[in-house]
Formats: sequence, structure tokens, C-alpha cells
Amino acid sequence: MITFDQNAFLIISTASLIAISCGLLGVFMMLRKMSMTGDAISHAVLPGIVIGYFISGSQRGVEVIVGAGLLGILATLIIDFLRKKAKVQLDASIGITFTLLFAIGIILINLLAYKVDLDQECVLYGEIAYLPIDLWITDSGFSMGPRIIWLALLNLLLVGSFIFLLFKELKLTSFDEGFGMVMGIPAGAINLALMSMVSYTTVSSFDAVGAILVVALLVVPPATAFLWTKDIKSLIKLTIGIGIGISVLGYYLAFWADSSIAGMMVTVGGAVFLISAVLTSKKFKFRLGTQSNQEAFNS
Amino acid sequence: MIKQIENPLLEIHDLTVSYDQSPVLWNIDFSLPEGKLIGILGPNGAGKSTLIKAIMGLVEPTGGYVKIFNKDLDQVRNRISYVPQRESVDWNFPASVLDVVMMGTYGRLGLFKRPGKKEKDLAFNCLEKVGMTAFAKRQISELSGGQQQRVFIARALAQEADLYLMDEPFAGVDMATETAIFQLLQEMTKEGKTVIVVHHDIHSAMTYFEWIIMLNLHLVASGPKSDVVNEDLLRKTYGGKLNLLSKVTEIIRQQEFNPLKN
Repeated sequence: MITFDQNAFLIISTASLIAISCGLLGVFMMLRKMSMTGDAISHAVLPGIVIGYFISGSQRGVEVIVGAGLLGILATLIIDFLRKKAKVQLDASIGITFTLLFAIGIILINLLAYKVDLDQECVLYGEIAYLPIDLWITDSGFSMGPRIIWLALLNLLLVGSFIFLLFKELKLTSFDEGFGMVMGIPAGAINLALMSMVSYTTVSSFDAVGAILVVALLVVPPATAFLWTKDIKSLIKLTIGIGIGISVLGYYLAFWADSSIAGMMVTVGGAVFLISAVLTSKKFKFRLGTQSNQEAFNS
Repeated sequence: MIKQIENPLLEIHDLTVSYDQSPVLWNIDFSLPEGKLIGILGPNGAGKSTLIKAIMGLVEPTGGYVKIFNKDLDQVRNRISYVPQRESVDWNFPASVLDVVMMGTYGRLGLFKRPGKKEKDLAFNCLEKVGMTAFAKRQISELSGGQQQRVFIARALAQEADLYLMDEPFAGVDMATETAIFQLLQEMTKEGKTVIVVHHDIHSAMTYFEWIIMLNLHLVASGPKSDVVNEDLLRKTYGGKLNLLSKVTEIIRQQEFNPLKN
């Protein structure tokens, strides 16, 4: 007999919504060779979260999102400055920037510990299993269901329309930034807008899935999809498919093994990538057509 | 020998560009006529690409100014087209040949608008001009160097500009393709377009360009081919290396054979 498990449904659909938002942004981060900038941003937003939390007195305030967004942009600007003006290599400038900002965040948490109910563990790991009991209750006392699923829905809506509206510009500036600038496309502004969306997505998702899973969802599904296809639209579709697949499989494996859901999702993502890498490596390429594999993979 | 022009299409006044305090272009000052095929010659590291990038606003000059159609760059962007060096992008990018050529139409489309049938027809038209129609659906990662170069030229054509700036469009291109592209550029100048090309090979430069700019950090010469091509100016541009170069060109002229290209 099949029963409908409401908690499973809520957790899987929230994780899927977050996975889709991250995947959409992650595709362009990867094409810009900036996947690790996403990692940096997801950690660098911590001071912004703490300051926002301190000002608003709540983990749910708009101030938290604004603070995190500003810190994300600041991180991007510092990385850019170190790379272009101070001539530090990209990987080194990312390492310097996000560890510094994350450390400042930890110090702020300690300094404000008596005012802020927040610790770095919850930012890093999150806890998606508590999602069904964290409800959004309206002023009239009516329960709208889990709060985080609404946040994830709003996030996907904004990320989706951002990518849809600026698809042409994002594609061009990812491929050939100089050419876009010559045509008068504001490449710098588009880059900052993308980084702001990554910051916002990170902070919108952190108390559900944590910064580590956000990084995994930004990097792993696009990188896996890129092994299978060389067309940008199928790349996006496949990324979304893989993100949802990771959420479903990760949840049930965690349920079966009685383990961390976010941890299992990342593990599944890593496994899917490794299997894809082996299957698409040259050794196998002439035996298996990539096209039929891709279809099989999607279904 | 620098020949200035009345009512120039492009005017560069006292331009200096430096990277990290060390100047790579010194006091460049010249003006260019309309409707000519113009070559920029000079040894490696002479600042040829930097000059193109300064004209396009991709590097900030330390001094001087550039006027195009007697206006500032920002007012005339959609009349200018650019072919960057082939190595400046990652050809593993997930796009087809047609996708890349369509990018040339984005400038006129403006923000948010999507390319439609008109842009697609234009892109196919440009692919035909460079002889790449059969490759429209091909992934760009599967192209040879010469084919990549032709895709970039088709993308520039799709911009429908009046002034074309091309950075080494003949690098890694075989003789047949080079001739075909030069013929295309000559047709464009007949229609009144101006084409400025950064070029390496002195021999083919002598054959095709009508106007030549010689550069080696300083401007050595700018003028019609017949006025500026002489041993004195070439020696000034290429320094001691000219001995070798003139020997090579001599051999090429005698044998009508270019060992570097075959």
C-alpha cells in the first residue's frame, strides 16, 4: 500500500526548489569559471547574516538578506580587486577573501552571542529535517505551511526571472566579456547582479540546507550536466533534472540509513558526478552514444 | 612618415597607454581615412593589440583621446565591430556556430530583447559570406583554428558596422582561407566600410593593405602603402630583426612559396 508521507514531500520539494535555483545560477558560474566564487560567497555572507540578525533581532528579517547580499557583493569586489589590481591569482584571492570574512563572522557571533541565537554550525550545515515544524503563521493565526518552502519558492521565482530576462546577456558575457563590453552591454553590472543573486540564494537557503549543500548544488549538478551535453539549453535542463534527482535520492537514502539528509544529498551528488565522469570518459565514448545516455539519465 | 587626414574616420590624439606604470604605447597620434583596408604592423610586443583595445575602450589610456566618426566611442558603439584574438575565449563553451554568430546582433537588440527570425537570417547570411553555412549547427569546440577565426569574422559581420577592428584574424589560418578572407575584406571596403587589421605577415600585408600603420611602442609610420613601405621605416619598426625578415621575404618572393604556411 502506498502512503503519502507529507514530511517527505515537503522536504524533497523544498530541496528540489533550492537545487533548481542553485543549478540555474551554477551553470553560469561554471561557464564563467567562477564556481569557487560561489563557494567563497556562501561563506563570506556570514558577517552580513550576523549583523542583519543583530539589527532585526530575528533570523527571518529582511535585514538578514540585505546584509548577506551586501557581504556577497563585497566579497566579489574584494576578489576582483585582489586579482586585477594586486595581481594575486584567482584561487588565492578567493581563499584569502572568504576565510577572512568568515572569520570576522565567527568573531561577531562570539561578540554578540548574548543577543544572537545563531552559531556557525547552523550556517554551515543547516537542518532540513526540522523544516516541516518551522511553520509560517499569519497574523490572524492561520498556518500557511512551512516557512522555508515559501522562501525557496520566492527565491526560485526571482532567480528564474533573472536568468530568463538576462539569458542573452549572461550567455554573451560568459563566453566573451570583451566583445560584450565593446557592444555596450554593461558586463560589470551583469556580473555583480549574478553575484548578488548567488548571495541572496545562499542566505535564503542556509537555514534549510546549510552553506555546504548550497555550494554542492551550485557546483555539482552543472559540472555533471556539462559532461553529458554541449548545448546551453539542454545543459540548464539537465542541471535541473540532476538537482531534483539528487534531492529525491538523497532524502530516501538518508531515511534508509537514518543519517543527515543534506549530507546524503551531497554524497549522492558526488557519486552521480563520478559515475558520469567514468561513463563519459573517452574509454567508453565509442561504446555508448552520449545522446541515448543523456535521455536514460534524465528519466 | 605620418600622413594626417582631413575629416578622418578615426582620429587618435597623443594616446599613451601603460600597464602597471610601464608604458606600452607612447604618444600615438594619427588619423585614418574612410573606406580603406588598413593594416597595423609591428613586431611582437609592439602594442598592436593594446592599440586596438584602447580604440575599443577595453583598456583605459593614461593620456590622449580617441575620436571615431568625430564622436566619442559611447555614441557610436553600434557602428563599430570587433574581432578579438581567437585565444581570448574558451572554445569549450556550450554553443553552436550559429549561436556565436547571433551574438553579433545582441548590441542592436538591446537589453532583455531576444533574437528572432530577422537576426537568424542575418546570421546565416554572414555565415555564407565566410563559407561556413554547412557548419551552422556544429559545436564550436569541434572547429579547427581557421574555422573558429571565420566564425568570429561572421559574428563581426552580423554587427552590421561601418568600422571593423580585427586583432590577428589570420593567426593559424591556412593560405586558402587567408586569401578568401582578404577578398571578403576588400569587398567590404568597396562598399565603403573601413577595416583595420592587426597583421603579422609582411608579405601578404604588402599585397592587400591600402594603408599601413607601423608600430613599435611609438608610431613609426601611418600612410598609404606606396608612401610608407621602404627599408628605412621597416628597419625602424622591426629593428635588428629586419635582416632576417627581409631575407625571408626575399626567399618567398623568389619561390612564391611560404614555408610557414604550407
